[in-house]
Amino acid sequence: MSTTSVTTNPAELSAAARSRQRARAARDTRTGLLFALPWLIGFTVFFAYPVLASLYYSLCSFDAIRPPRFIGLANFQRLFFEDDLFWKSLGNTVYMVAFGLPVGLIASLAIALLLHQKLKGIALYRTVFYLPSITPVVATSILWLWLLNPEMGLINLGLAKLGIEGPAWLTDPAWAKPALILMALWGAGGGMVIYLAALQDIPESLYEAASLDGARGPTALFRITLPMLTPVILFNLIMGLIGTFQYFTQAYVMTAGGPQDSTTFYALHLFNKAFLDFQMGYASAMAWVLFVITLGFALVVFKTSARWVYYSGEER
Amino acid sequence: MTRRDLLRRALATTSLPLGAAGALAAAGCGRTSGSGDGREEVVYWTGWSGNELAEQEDLVARFNREDRNVRARILTQFGQSGYQKVRIAFAGGATPDVMSTVWAEELASYALRGVLTPLDEYLARSGRDFDAEFTPGVARMLRVAGKVYGLAVTTNTSFIAYNKTLFREVGLDPDRPPRTIEELDEAAKRCTKYDANGGYLRYGLRPGGLQLWAYVFGGQWYDAASGTITANHPGNVAALDWLQSYAREYDLRKMQAFQTTFGSNETPSGPFFVGKIAMWQTGEWAQESIRRYAPKLDWGWFPLPSPADGSGRDNVTGAGGSVFVIPKACPRKEAAWGFLNWIASPGPVAQFCKAIHNVPPLIEAGRDPYFATDPLYRFCIPISQGQNAFGPPPTPIWPTFNREIGRVEEKVMLGGEDPKRALDALQRAMEKEQRMVHEDLGL
Repeated sequence: MSTTSVTTNPAELSAAARSRQRARAARDTRTGLLFALPWLIGFTVFFAYPVLASLYYSLCSFDAIRPPRFIGLANFQRLFFEDDLFWKSLGNTVYMVAFGLPVGLIASLAIALLLHQKLKGIALYRTVFYLPSITPVVATSILWLWLLNPEMGLINLGLAKLGIEGPAWLTDPAWAKPALILMALWGAGGGMVIYLAALQDIPESLYEAASLDGARGPTALFRITLPMLTPVILFNLIMGLIGTFQYFTQAYVMTAGGPQDSTTFYALHLFNKAFLDFQMGYASAMAWVLFVITLGFALVVFKTSARWVYYSGEER
Repeated sequence: MTRRDLLRRALATTSLPLGAAGALAAAGCGRTSGSGDGREEVVYWTGWSGNELAEQEDLVARFNREDRNVRARILTQFGQSGYQKVRIAFAGGATPDVMSTVWAEELASYALRGVLTPLDEYLARSGRDFDAEFTPGVARMLRVAGKVYGLAVTTNTSFIAYNKTLFREVGLDPDRPPRTIEELDEAAKRCTKYDANGGYLRYGLRPGGLQLWAYVFGGQWYDAASGTITANHPGNVAALDWLQSYAREYDLRKMQAFQTTFGSNETPSGPFFVGKIAMWQTGEWAQESIRRYAPKLDWGWFPLPSPADGSGRDNVTGAGGSVFVIPKACPRKEAAWGFLNWIASPGPVAQFCKAIHNVPPLIEAGRDPYFATDPLYRFCIPISQGQNAFGPPPTPIWPTFNREIGRVEEKVMLGGEDPKRALDALQRAMEKEQRMVHEDLGL
């Protein structure tokens, strides 16, 4: 009697099914975790642990050879109040963010708009503009060292033909950063490709409707194209912000921070402290300060983005 | 194999994806033996490349033919990343048995961090008289806190090369080069030629390297006896004042732009080779470049001149380069010393210096007929063996200190900062830096 009641009782049946279900779910979780394990291990060992360790090291005097010695906030105190190069390098980096980043964003957008035309051979033009951005940074940097040579570089030779005496570029503290910005424009193809993809996603119907209403040229650009591109502009802005705050390779290869520290960017200063001066703890503190600064900038951009970024389908 | 070895090996294997780190552990001291012929194998890391590496390989092969007990295996760790790898290897205790991938500038910072083997005992046991064998400048450079931590197989001599044809052209005696700073300044001025717009057609000399010139003016950066920083030593200030006089007299930016037109002095279009600069501050290796790129150049040399009032030092030269060390973590110190002792002995040192056009740091090696018959070497070797050869001072902060000296020089030369003020600031900063590092090291 009791056995039949077990099998026939609908409530108990569903309890058994539930426990089977739970077992399966547990098994699925296990399998899932197992599949994710390589990544999880990689993430923990090569990312989470180093990040947390660097937070601890930032509170230590640590030369990477002897065990770290806890010194509290002394690294940060030195950083903010005693290291003139910290402020100088931060200033240099903010210069690149303030001038280099917008110039780069506008250039890649402008190129994308120009290349979003139905022209014969447009694919070729797109390729040509994109090509420089796949060249390794070190190779590009060496090439530009020659282009920017004050006496016999192509740039100054070209300027001389126009009757302009070109600056000394990388050997002049006032012109070294603009020279690097100029060089960065050459790599605008990376951003361009993303804009181009987004441009192709803008529905043709919007332009048709607008043209029926009499909007053309600039109006269509400012009322349709740019608003529709704002999510992508936001993406490029945030990625650019992060990348520019970490600006390193070009300065490391081309100028080693000179002349007169004018291209000692934050990441280069950090690198020198860590790998030339044995000051891992100090460099870790610098890395965390940079992280907080970058995060701050990114948050501000995100917060204000609600005001200028339009997502399609959104009512305004 | 001990449990620890086993563990290290297991770790080395699992960390293979780390690439460099995995390779380090496997190639380093984790290896116990393995040449197969019963000889103990030592792994030797070198930072030399190209022709210099080939020469090291040749020496290692010679050692392997001659030595019955030890076999050396050479691994190249070339370039900047090679030297960073060295640091990571020290950090992980995965160092090889012998390495020449330590710069003289870094020796004290490694030695005082306790990762190098002091060599005094080994030297004594092998019957080597360190202070009598090595030149005084190099010996000073290799001794940190009273102990010898490395051996050098090369050193350099600083001097000024000059173009005799240009000297003749401007009415200077080509056989009597400048002997004082004042004569040097005068010669530099007379050799400089401008175009109609004030640009350079040619210039006399662009002196550089405050670190070295400080010694010429009687200065010093560090007092090894008391362990104190002497960045604002009056001699250092005098040297920087003098360097700044060139920034006042000449347009350094234009000079630099002019110089870049001709490429480096490692190419046939180097400005000294084509007669665009009259005097070139360089070292003994220049002879080989001139032979290769400008064989017809009529040139001579003279030591860095000192001030006429006798306040400075004559025959000043830098010393330095790569240093051979035995890491403390090396378990085969006897075998490692066997190899190091051989490669840093007069025969191999002479062979290596000849091949790479450097000056030998061993007095005995300098007596080799090759050096005795070459006029430039006959000039360089006595200078390199003199008391005024200065290598990096034995402070653990020297890598930082040295870079900061370069920054000060740039600030003064290009930024117009006051030499005394800049060096006072450097003094304060480096005192603080040294205090901090000493505290870390328990000194």
